[in-house]
Amino acid sequence: MKKILIGVFCLCLVCGFTALAAAETLKVGTLSPLTGPYAQDGTDIKQGVLTAVEVFGPVKGFDKVEVLPEDSACDGGKATMAANKLINSGANAVIGAYCSSATEPAQIPLMEAAIVQITPASTNERLTSKGYKYFFRMPPRDDVQAWSTVQFLEKKLKAKTLALLDDKQTYTAGLTENIKKFAAENDIVKVVAHEHIAPGDSDFTAVLTKLKKVNPDAIYMSVYQPEGSKMIIQARKLALESDFITNDAVFHPKFLEVGGDSANGVYLTFAKAPESDVRTKFEETYKKMWNVESIGSYAYYAYDAGMMLLGAIEKAGTADGDKLQETIRGNEWEGVTGLIEFDENGDRKLAHIVWVVENNEFVPYWDPLTGKDLK
Amino acid sequence: MDTKAFIIQQMVNAIFLGSIYSLIALGYTMVYGIIELINFAHGELFTAGAFIGVIVLSFLQQIGWVDSHFVLSLFITFSMAMIYVAVLGVAVEHIAYKPLRKASRLSALLSALGMSIFLSNGMMLAQGVSDRAYPQVFGNAGIEIFGAIITYGQIFILLLAIVLMVGLQIFVHRTKLGKAMRATAQNKSMSRMLGINTDRTIRLTFMIGPALGAAAGVMVGLSYGAVRFDMGFIFMIKAFAAAILGGIGSIPGAMLGGMIIGFVEVSWTAFLPSEWKDVTTFTILILVLYLKPSGILGEDVAEARV
Repeated sequence: MKKILIGVFCLCLVCGFTALAAAETLKVGTLSPLTGPYAQDGTDIKQGVLTAVEVFGPVKGFDKVEVLPEDSACDGGKATMAANKLINSGANAVIGAYCSSATEPAQIPLMEAAIVQITPASTNERLTSKGYKYFFRMPPRDDVQAWSTVQFLEKKLKAKTLALLDDKQTYTAGLTENIKKFAAENDIVKVVAHEHIAPGDSDFTAVLTKLKKVNPDAIYMSVYQPEGSKMIIQARKLALESDFITNDAVFHPKFLEVGGDSANGVYLTFAKAPESDVRTKFEETYKKMWNVESIGSYAYYAYDAGMMLLGAIEKAGTADGDKLQETIRGNEWEGVTGLIEFDENGDRKLAHIVWVVENNEFVPYWDPLTGKDLK
Repeated sequence: MDTKAFIIQQMVNAIFLGSIYSLIALGYTMVYGIIELINFAHGELFTAGAFIGVIVLSFLQQIGWVDSHFVLSLFITFSMAMIYVAVLGVAVEHIAYKPLRKASRLSALLSALGMSIFLSNGMMLAQGVSDRAYPQVFGNAGIEIFGAIITYGQIFILLLAIVLMVGLQIFVHRTKLGKAMRATAQNKSMSRMLGINTDRTIRLTFMIGPALGAAAGVMVGLSYGAVRFDMGFIFMIKAFAAAILGGIGSIPGAMLGGMIIGFVEVSWTAFLPSEWKDVTTFTILILVLYLKPSGILGEDVAEARV
């Protein structure tokens, strides 16, 4: 009798212990620009993660999931401060940031604290080449993007001359450097001009007129969406004859909204996700939850990052950085942006395709890997 | 595009940008001239004008007035934006500056900064964080002069800017209210003694300056395509530089300063490496201040006033 009592008592102790251990809050931090020029994308990311937490529901082993949205403002200093704040408030994992120039410095404290960081947007290839094992990236890298762009220029557009335009940030300048490098390899496309703007500028008439004088076959706008939208409007007013190509940061419904008719005919590079049920379902949920008509491109990646993270935490049974990164790396995850699978650097095997704006819609146009038309 | 066309096109760009800077700079200079205060909230008043413009213009486009009554819609858009911001300007003056009129200038300056942050965040909450598309009512059509393209929109905006600036000059120099304004700027207590209602004159200044800024805001939206809550900052910095360059307190100085900043910015981008354009603008500002601290057309009364 005594033994049974002791046994029950021990069982109670164990159960009580697990129940106590489970009385825990899972804290997911997000870093994205919630103020400043790129606040639209930043808000998309925050909302994507919040949607994931809502859809995923309760996470086994945790009482509740709390999202801590922090503002990284596309600024290295603010991003580092926000990352430290997240570490101090006990975030178990971080999703962010948006601009590569904000993600790069924020990596340092997060990696030191052994916290898993998943960026839903930063594409500069340097971020995953530092050997950080807690760092993962959802979208494809910029060298892949630049390669796709150069392939498109050489094989599809048959451009001979190219002008580059960037705003000298880590992401934009990294892209133009890569394009220069890939263009020099085959030497089919010549870079005839390389101009710069300042982030946040509104007036691009002077620099566009300068490019009009050079009159290249193609102009590559390596900018973010707010500048890109205004730039294309002004380029059409100045009647530039060159073809316009731009990057994945401009691939956003806002570009179509602000650019209007001027956006038609612009080529963009962005990864194409396969149509799937989860994607359609996500779109419905997101639109209903945030009362919006169109979904920002990075909300998809942020949602995937959130779903994968919660799934991995449940699978690993812990939010401990080491176990979590092993679980994320060692498994395949179903996502709205396709199958998620990471290599040793924390990159996905994703490729870009070229899109074109037609009748104010993004339409798949050309596949750089196969060289085939998609239309 | 040959060199001649290129230079003409760049000159058009410069005059255009310059006149927008001038219009904003006028708001700074007028307020400074009358109460010796840098109105830091001016950039936000400019943005508010741009927002009222996009709200009114989008509405008019929806109900079809832009197509049926084009000129009338533009008139309504500009006047609504200007009237709204004029009222807002007076409200800002009443809340943030009037109680501090006898306090030290530093308190008023801080109050101005606070007002700027308040308005900027208010607009962020009310209008959202993302770009707001401006209806491109003018389209891309235009005339060609020696290969340079000037759109009808640009012509309209330039003409309007000239009308506003000439109108302001006439108002200040030819009307009784303008005379009162100049008198108040010269000596506030003396003009009060002579029966000028200085409070009313200051209020008037806070109507005209922001209203001009609002017009510039609508122009920026119409020509560059989008507005956002924080767009006032870059324009504010440049226009502030223009006002100082031309001599703060001087109305022709602000116009001249705006044009100079516009020309320097555009010609630097046109002929030299574009990444240095903002550096040059401010280097020129520093040089002018070093060689002639009161600005190009500024009167040397700054010391006497203090």
